[in-house]
Amino acid sequence: MVKLAEIEAALDRVPDPELPVSIVELGMVVSAALDGGTATIRLLPTYTGCPALPMIESDVITQISSIEGIERCHVVWAYEPAWTPDRISESGLDKLKAHGVTACCGGSTVTLTTSAIPCPYCGSDRTRLDSPFGPTRCRAIHFCEACRNQFEHMKPRG
Amino acid sequence: MTMQTMLANPLASIVLMHADDLLMLGHVQSDWTGLAPILEEDIAASSMAQDDLSHALVLYQYLAEEFDLDPDAIAFDRDPADYRCCNLTTVPDEFDWAVSMCKRWLLSTYTKLGLDRLALVDEGDLGDRCARLRDESAIHVAHLGAWMIRLGTGSTESNERMQAALNLLAEEAGMMFEPPDLGFESDEGFCCGRGEMFDEWATLVGATLSEAGLQASFTLPDQAARGGRRGEHAGHFSEQHAEMTEVRRAEPATAW
Repeated sequence: MVKLAEIEAALDRVPDPELPVSIVELGMVVSAALDGGTATIRLLPTYTGCPALPMIESDVITQISSIEGIERCHVVWAYEPAWTPDRISESGLDKLKAHGVTACCGGSTVTLTTSAIPCPYCGSDRTRLDSPFGPTRCRAIHFCEACRNQFEHMKPRG
Repeated sequence: MTMQTMLANPLASIVLMHADDLLMLGHVQSDWTGLAPILEEDIAASSMAQDDLSHALVLYQYLAEEFDLDPDAIAFDRDPADYRCCNLTTVPDEFDWAVSMCKRWLLSTYTKLGLDRLALVDEGDLGDRCARLRDESAIHVAHLGAWMIRLGTGSTESNERMQAALNLLAEEAGMMFEPPDLGFESDEGFCCGRGEMFDEWATLVGATLSEAGLQASFTLPDQAARGGRRGEHAGHFSEQHAEMTEVRRAEPATAW
């Protein structure tokens, strides 16, 4: 008999292809259900245009299908609830910060003006948005006037 | 279910309008990848084109599930006259950055309002999808609006070039609000409230233009107006459509 806990543990082993966190830590998993030998995993895209989604889907299917007793695994991409950075876990936030990526709130970052998101390197809030379009679809680029480092910030809802 | 059933459905027609706008804009705009004036904007423009195509896909996937069709078939296999994209998406920018910027800003502002309305009228899957897309679309509107102001107030040359771009696009921008063929007389009460949406759009656009030191006047097309929303596309559409569907026609089973 497969336990849901085994599925959850397997999901926590699926990494985000671009960041040092799992999809569970990122808050991408909405639900995992088991019906006989069929597992259905509902996932939230952090951003709809993310080209990593097919890779994540395939990694989830590989991990879940390797559990003894599971014959099939379906991944459903969901839009409700909408993913926001608020879904990232404490451990996820810590790992991202160590990687130079912030994900706190800090108000609207969708303008080109000062955004005052605390710098992950020096903690200063003398920071500004450089571009809402960073290295991946879910990350914006900010700049710290205090330590003059660039850092990335997980985009909030627009 | 067939493509014709989908095309005859009023709500599907509204969804298709937005999906086709995004498909066409994303396709054309991706020509700029590697060519934008500065690196950050090259990345931004390519990212927005990527968003536009993925947003189109999310809407085509909804229609595909509703009408039991293949999303790629909806995107690429329709007759040109069955595309609902507005005239503005098919105006070529001739690699003039000002035209590209204005076109994207005018259309994104419109798209965000349209998605917002779809998110309100539908309490199910379509509404959830549109709410998600609207939030991402808001980032485009904010970014492009800030650039409208930056270029409008930058130098005499940048102001003149932006003004020239607006003059080129203003008439076709109004045609975004061309009444679609929904199979019944008036669309005023259905889903969008065309006139009300036009007023809201014109107010938003006007506020940014005023801050940017730019002028444009837009007209809500009357019920008799006919253009891309009714499948009557300008000549440029044929070229874009032929290019966009070339791989699909050559190799229908192609997958990435």
